[in-house]
Amino acid sequence: MSDKSDKGMSRRQFLGLTGGVVGAAALASIGFKYRGTKNERKIDPENMNYKENETDILVIGGGMTGLFAAVKGHDAGAKVLMVSKGRLGSSGQTPFAKGIFSYDAATASVSLDEFTEQVSSSALKTNNPVFTRQMAEHSKARVDELREWGFFDSPLYYDSFSKPINERNISVMERIMITHLIKENGKIAGAAGFSIDEPTIHIFKAKSVILCTGAGGFKPNGFPICDLTHDGSVMAYKIGAKITGKEWNDGHGGSMDNPAACYDGWHGMFAMSPSKTGVEIHHDLGVDINYRAYVLGNPVSMMPGGDNTIVEGGPYVPEKFVRNREAGAPPGGGNGDKMGPPPGAEAGDRPSGPPPGGEEGRGPGMAAGASSGGASAGMAIHKSEGLVPINEKGESNIPGLYAAGDALGSYMAGAIYTQVGSSLAGSAVQGTIASEAAAEYCQKAVLQNIPSSKISRIKEEILAPLKRDSGYSPAWVTQILQGVMIPNFVIYIKKESILKAALAYVEELRDHHSPMLRAADLHELRLAHETENMIVNAEMKLKASLMRKESRCSHYRLDYPDVDYKNWQAWINIYKGSDGEMKFVKQPFDSWPV
Amino acid sequence: MSIKKISGCIGCGTCVKSCPTDVIRLSPKDGKAYIAYPEDCQICHLCRMYCPVDAITIEPEKSIPVMISWG
Repeated sequence: MSDKSDKGMSRRQFLGLTGGVVGAAALASIGFKYRGTKNERKIDPENMNYKENETDILVIGGGMTGLFAAVKGHDAGAKVLMVSKGRLGSSGQTPFAKGIFSYDAATASVSLDEFTEQVSSSALKTNNPVFTRQMAEHSKARVDELREWGFFDSPLYYDSFSKPINERNISVMERIMITHLIKENGKIAGAAGFSIDEPTIHIFKAKSVILCTGAGGFKPNGFPICDLTHDGSVMAYKIGAKITGKEWNDGHGGSMDNPAACYDGWHGMFAMSPSKTGVEIHHDLGVDINYRAYVLGNPVSMMPGGDNTIVEGGPYVPEKFVRNREAGAPPGGGNGDKMGPPPGAEAGDRPSGPPPGGEEGRGPGMAAGASSGGASAGMAIHKSEGLVPINEKGESNIPGLYAAGDALGSYMAGAIYTQVGSSLAGSAVQGTIASEAAAEYCQKAVLQNIPSSKISRIKEEILAPLKRDSGYSPAWVTQILQGVMIPNFVIYIKKESILKAALAYVEELRDHHSPMLRAADLHELRLAHETENMIVNAEMKLKASLMRKESRCSHYRLDYPDVDYKNWQAWINIYKGSDGEMKFVKQPFDSWPV
Repeated sequence: MSIKKISGCIGCGTCVKSCPTDVIRLSPKDGKAYIAYPEDCQICHLCRMYCPVDAITIEPEKSIPVMISWG
């Protein structure tokens, strides 16, 4: 027998052991179905229906971005088809976003230029000022339209979103997961996916595609992003689009009481009607709280009465934006968070001044009780990750392919959370602008022919997990991935040795487990494709984090703790090289890709 | 266990569509909603809030099967 002492263990064995312990401990409240037996199919993959659909603009996603992309593309004269993995206004993060920023030039305390400059100052120049300004400039017009549709009258958005869609008779296909984008002759040609309700594969032929697919995470507990797995970015990456922003992290915490309960952790905010927010610029949701948790251990608190122990080191926060822990209150009179403005005296208006001290005034993870970091693990700051835009319209480097909202790496807010409520406003604004540009593109574009051989190959790839007699359940692979990626010493408080160790795991999942994912029904088929996408996202996050040898905004390296103004005034763009390898390139701040 | 009970369902299917993570399905037997994939519930309450007859009960805790070997 071989030596089983610590000394006799290989590095890989040692990492395997520790990783397993971490995985089990960190993930105690995540469920999965164990399927150690032969794949007991409930769907016959050899007997699927097949449907083709044609349109000018294909809008993928039914959240705030998708809503405006569909409506405005239609109004600009294009034939629009919306396809969504969930239901209009009831999937992704949109249903849970309750504050929307509205900049009113007539009453605002700062000019558009001043607003943009203040965001850039908080974001340490990581923002793209063109998108920052664009969001503010157009926010009021979009908010006014939303009011007209009844958005501010209900906590549930389906009815208000349906109003403009139904009035225009825009086609919407729900509960279809898109797995592939299709490129022909260097241009976008459509997309493909499957219904999760019936055994049907759908091919969509389109002159233009707008990704309104949101961002994603690793299906973490306590944050309502378990249906978001970076599907849009990953399928765009596979056909040659550039992706950015993977080193940044959204720093939301979650409640340690019932940690999987998003609704409870957000203190009933999901049941509240949305409201407007005004200018209120922060430097929030970075890794400062997570750094405290790493140094001091849980629990952490951002609320009055919380632990005020001074912690040395940690992420740099510009003087002007330092959170006043002594007073125990978050800055700016707000609740220090992006979500959850309490209802104002009039529907749709957030009251000025600090929120009431009651439960409603707290953001997610800000309960009076103990909270823990990492609730949104796998997701970056809103709009700092996603497709790289080549211009202010959200166009990608693939002609005809656009992205908007959280699917677009616009750096609207920068790599830190800056303006409260800007996420939802930015989605509405970017969806509009991208779709108007796509409609114009469609006037000159023609539908590309998609060879039947390519369609056959795509069908095979979609159905592969259903066809496997044996393999790994997506739930189990996801759980392993969570165990590798979610711990605070991996993607939050980073250092080279651990990033490399985690990468070894993720590469194993990519090379060995992704190709062996199995599914017995359409629900599991969706999980299989989501799991594959999360593994690609994990590889991007680890490699971008290794490359960025500095700390800034929501990216923090223990081994490079300072902002590097000399070498790192740049974003990181990721693309698939001609050899199939993941490639990384710097793009200077405040520039467009060459 | 997260989404716990559906009682008094009228079979309208709204909860099925409203669930972001595809937890609920309509039964082919009686056309009523049932909890098909409870392990994927993110406890967001959208199904409960959209239900027109308040048929859905949700609890905040989430219990899971024990993690076993290799997937």
